[in-house]
Amino acid sequence: MSAGLPRRIIKETQRLVAEPVAGISATPYADNLRYFTVGIEGPEETPYEKGVFQLELFLPADYPMAPPKVRFLTKIYHPNIDKLGRICLDILKDKWSPALQIRTVLLSIQALLSAPNPDDPLDNNVAEVWKNNEEEALKRAREFTKSFATPST
Amino acid sequence: MQRTPAGETVITPRNFRLLEELENSEKGHGDMSISFGLVESGDTFLSDWNGGILGPAGTQHDGRFYQLLIHCTQEYPAVPPTIRFTSKINMSCIDSKTGVVEKNKVPAMKNWNRNTGIEKVLQSIRMEMCSDKNRRLKQPAEGATF
Repeated sequence: MSAGLPRRIIKETQRLVAEPVAGISATPYADNLRYFTVGIEGPEETPYEKGVFQLELFLPADYPMAPPKVRFLTKIYHPNIDKLGRICLDILKDKWSPALQIRTVLLSIQALLSAPNPDDPLDNNVAEVWKNNEEEALKRAREFTKSFATPST
Repeated sequence: MQRTPAGETVITPRNFRLLEELENSEKGHGDMSISFGLVESGDTFLSDWNGGILGPAGTQHDGRFYQLLIHCTQEYPAVPPTIRFTSKINMSCIDSKTGVVEKNKVPAMKNWNRNTGIEKVLQSIRMEMCSDKNRRLKQPAEGATF
């Protein structure tokens, strides 16, 4: 199944499992070791607090020369994440470097939840609300977290 | 599906594959003789798509714009999408009562592999409009729907 899987990916995966990042889980699918199911806990003191967001991540054939592909599966109200869960983050595009890793990408996404940037929006509607009425934006973000990202226990 | 120099077969998972197809489609296809996009812009699993085919010149379909619905199951792209015309059309590969495209009669669906994709299927259906079987078939009134 994993015939020829680059050593770099094997190493990264082993480390993700052995030394997980606080608030982040990443597990490869057994039938495709380049494809990961990811969970990111919403950072404290943000409207995403207490939410657990599911993402998917894929390492394309040219990884690590090309960045991983990653998006949110859980609906989230955030100016840099669009309706399909695609993420506007420089290191996933032109600022990618092969020195970065899955781990750094997921940490950057977690940081993006703490620091939304409405001046570089992916979802213009959300960004407008964020800029013109931050209180309303935070309220909507909290509502989304409650409706879509709250684990059923 | 892509093979690396190390002999690994890299399989792009369904959702990322469909995102690629969406992004390519949004860039436009040359003459726009075919087009497709999501029914709901927030369809997380990219399952339901609208499609359009412009009838080829020199056939009974010339100048017509046919609308259709495309459904990609969870098995996609291991299996082809399901396609149903909403615009009424008379064609040998389309069920005359339901508008459903018969997979075994469209080359790109019959010979489907993981790399085929929605674009090639729509092009293949459009090619069928030009076939000897179909080009002269009498067509229902323009704008009629199934």
